[in-house]
Amino acid sequence: MSASRSGARYTLLFSAIVCVVCAVLVSSAAVVLRDRQDSNSELDRRRNVLRAAGVLGEDETVSAEEVERRFASFTAVAVDLRTGEEDPSFDVSGYDARRAVASPDLSRAVEPNPAQVTRVAHHAVVYKQLDADGRLSLLVLPIEGKGLWSTMYGFLALGADLNTVRGLTFYQHGETPGLGGEVDSARWKALWPGREVFDDEGDVAIQVIRGSAGPPEQDPHRVDGLSGATLTSRGVSAMLRFWLGPQGFGPYLDQLRKEVRGEQGA
Amino acid sequence: MLRRLLDGVAPRFHKGGSLERFYPLYEAVDTFLYTPGMVTEGPSHVRDAIDLKRIMSLVVVSLLGTVAMAIYNTGLQAHRAIEAGAAPRDTWQTQAMEWLGLSFASGDLVACLVHGALYFVPVLLTTYTVGGLWEGLFAQVRRHELNEGFLVTGLLIPLTLPAGIPLWQVALGTSFGVVIGKEIFGGTGMNILNPALTARAFLFFAYPAEMSGNIWVAAGVADGVTGATLLAGASEQGMAALADVSWWDAFLGFVPGSMGETSALACLLGAVLLVVTGIGSWRVMLGVAIGTVAAAALLNGVGSVTNPYFAVPFWWHMVLGGWAFGTVYMATDPVTAAQTDTGRWVFGALVGVLTVLIRVINPAYPEGMMLAILFMNVFAPTIDFFVVRANVERRRRRVSLP
Amino acid sequence: MSKAHDVLVDPLFNTNPIALQVLGICSALAVTTRMQTAVVMAVAVIFVTGSSNFFVSLLRNRIPSNVRIIVQLTVIASLVIVVDQVLKAYLFDVSRQLSVFVGLIITNCIVMGRAEAFAMQNPPGLSFLDGVGNGFGYGLILLGVGAFREVLGAGSFFGWPVLALVADGGWYTPNGLMVLAPGAFFLIGLFIWALRTWKPSQVEAPEA
Repeated sequence: MSASRSGARYTLLFSAIVCVVCAVLVSSAAVVLRDRQDSNSELDRRRNVLRAAGVLGEDETVSAEEVERRFASFTAVAVDLRTGEEDPSFDVSGYDARRAVASPDLSRAVEPNPAQVTRVAHHAVVYKQLDADGRLSLLVLPIEGKGLWSTMYGFLALGADLNTVRGLTFYQHGETPGLGGEVDSARWKALWPGREVFDDEGDVAIQVIRGSAGPPEQDPHRVDGLSGATLTSRGVSAMLRFWLGPQGFGPYLDQLRKEVRGEQGA
Repeated sequence: MLRRLLDGVAPRFHKGGSLERFYPLYEAVDTFLYTPGMVTEGPSHVRDAIDLKRIMSLVVVSLLGTVAMAIYNTGLQAHRAIEAGAAPRDTWQTQAMEWLGLSFASGDLVACLVHGALYFVPVLLTTYTVGGLWEGLFAQVRRHELNEGFLVTGLLIPLTLPAGIPLWQVALGTSFGVVIGKEIFGGTGMNILNPALTARAFLFFAYPAEMSGNIWVAAGVADGVTGATLLAGASEQGMAALADVSWWDAFLGFVPGSMGETSALACLLGAVLLVVTGIGSWRVMLGVAIGTVAAAALLNGVGSVTNPYFAVPFWWHMVLGGWAFGTVYMATDPVTAAQTDTGRWVFGALVGVLTVLIRVINPAYPEGMMLAILFMNVFAPTIDFFVVRANVERRRRRVSLP
Repeated sequence: MSKAHDVLVDPLFNTNPIALQVLGICSALAVTTRMQTAVVMAVAVIFVTGSSNFFVSLLRNRIPSNVRIIVQLTVIASLVIVVDQVLKAYLFDVSRQLSVFVGLIITNCIVMGRAEAFAMQNPPGLSFLDGVGNGFGYGLILLGVGAFREVLGAGSFFGWPVLALVADGGWYTPNGLMVLAPGAFFLIGLFIWALRTWKPSQVEAPEA
């Protein structure tokens, strides 16, 4: 071995070259693929919204164009959860509420709650579907909360009355396969459409019970528990209660109801 | 007569005989019926009437009370549920009961025993058949004698299972327990995990939906009767779930649960026999008890607003779930527990502490006994290692003293 | 020729990185619940071991020995990030299921081990084959474990139903243990048992 190869100068030079070459390689890959990745994650989000809304079947796989087409009737709207007002000035593209939670400027701490949500982002992106007359026909809300092992992330779709469930879906969770993991099974999700989340007094009444509940017409506020997964079931109840309550989308839903009533009055 | 028959066919099985390959089978039958022909004679050997076979037979005897309770209680729980309004299961057992003209009354002792036996015996036969086949296969392949360890293991497995378990699951669990829990390590005496608990753990994790929920009672569900075990109740509501149950019922075993684990009394009687005959280690059993008392007392003291299970006192822990059964029959397994006396204390105490911790703090597994014992099985050699080394150190210090 | 053949084929059974060297276990437990993820992971690892071996071998006469591990790591890490980015762009669903485990290929002992043990002493062509061979050895176990876990744990193979599940009116009750990581652990253990029964030379001599 020559002396120069073990010298400090050679080592530094060599390391610098390797670093530059690798850095160029990595960053060009990141830059070139960036757009594709973003559109992928947006597509994935839209798929989940469509699933919750019942517009896309559970096992249905459709092309990106088909997702675009079905999603066309939905609009993403930012809601300021502090006031319950929509915030049209907020740029929803590329916004990730789950990332915003990590920043003190973009989120706030909430009181301890059974859903074990600790921080809520100031802004949430909801999806509205309007009918031909421009009236709200479907509203999809993002929800999250602790199950037994993990935080479960999903979407809840409500009908025009802002009370009837149109669908519920979980797209990410780490619950026990076969027990709590059944939260994302088609069979369990099929129990949800038609249930009502609020009782006559306007309080959140929906809950997952132990054992079986009746059909939605007779037993609108209760849903069958997941067998052998009491804590996951309880987690689902708690997260619905939280997100439909005053710290979640409660104020926003009140606002929407007022608007609907206003329109009817006019 | 039998002796003469066995001796008559013996040459065929010995070396060179036509049936040499099957010597293990012959040997098993022979020594099961009679004391081995070869006994130690020289003065350098310890002479003792006891051998593996006698030990196993005594353990089986000590289990008889538990078996009787398992059979009776399985029937009793089913009949109680039926009286509360549940429909009898749509199974051949129910048909057999009707065919025999027996009632589904909980006060009818005979009916309860028969109904319980109709559930227990098939499970027992399945474990013995499947386990026996595996034992025989490995004995043939490895050319060693069939040994009787499975006589006990095969009886323990059904006792840890719920009455409503499908027989194919019993077969699968037994296979896993025997092959993975024992034979992989070289057979009886070489295993690091208790085979019966390995089988139970396999079923618990493989078929969680079948191992929890409505299988504890061999009848349909009645409104208002959950069919859940007390343990599951305690893990959710703490002492509130135990309010309508008397401690004595739980101690005697008239509560739902795995077939053989409900009666702490039957286990206690078995424990007495095991300790008196010197087969079961009283150090392990006492260690588990001490560990449980300590851990439960600690958690009682700490308390918790969100987890009511914290408040359950130790005397309830000891009658709930598989605590008594595990302490007496599983933790004391001479192969998989610690081998040194000091090690046994440590082993037992840690099993007790872990059981309470898993039960109370882990949200998913209300029963901690099985997991605690399996976990400590793995650590038993390590405990022994430190005990032996401490002993060596002490002696060395004694020698080097001036 | 024969050496090239050896370095490529030996890692499949004779010196299998998982079964004999017991390396790379963590990802083998994590990504084998489905065949699809197992295949993608296997391909990613084959690519990374092959190319990292190739590049490290190219540089082997120039790397100053006091920073060689860092240089190897830099090369490996860059390759892994590129693979991760490509997966995110072209196989989004699979890459989400693989989550951090693609990134963790960096810490996979097989990659680093082959770079240090083989590529530093051998020419690029041979090193590349060695990397690919070891990647295949790893992938083989992954696929084997994945096949058992998906069929027994979910009743499907590559997402296609092969066993009719009880939940859908069939006869098969999925085995929950197979879906949990310990299931993979038992399977790998059984594979090693089978492999050693087949090739008794792999059994270590008992310690004295």
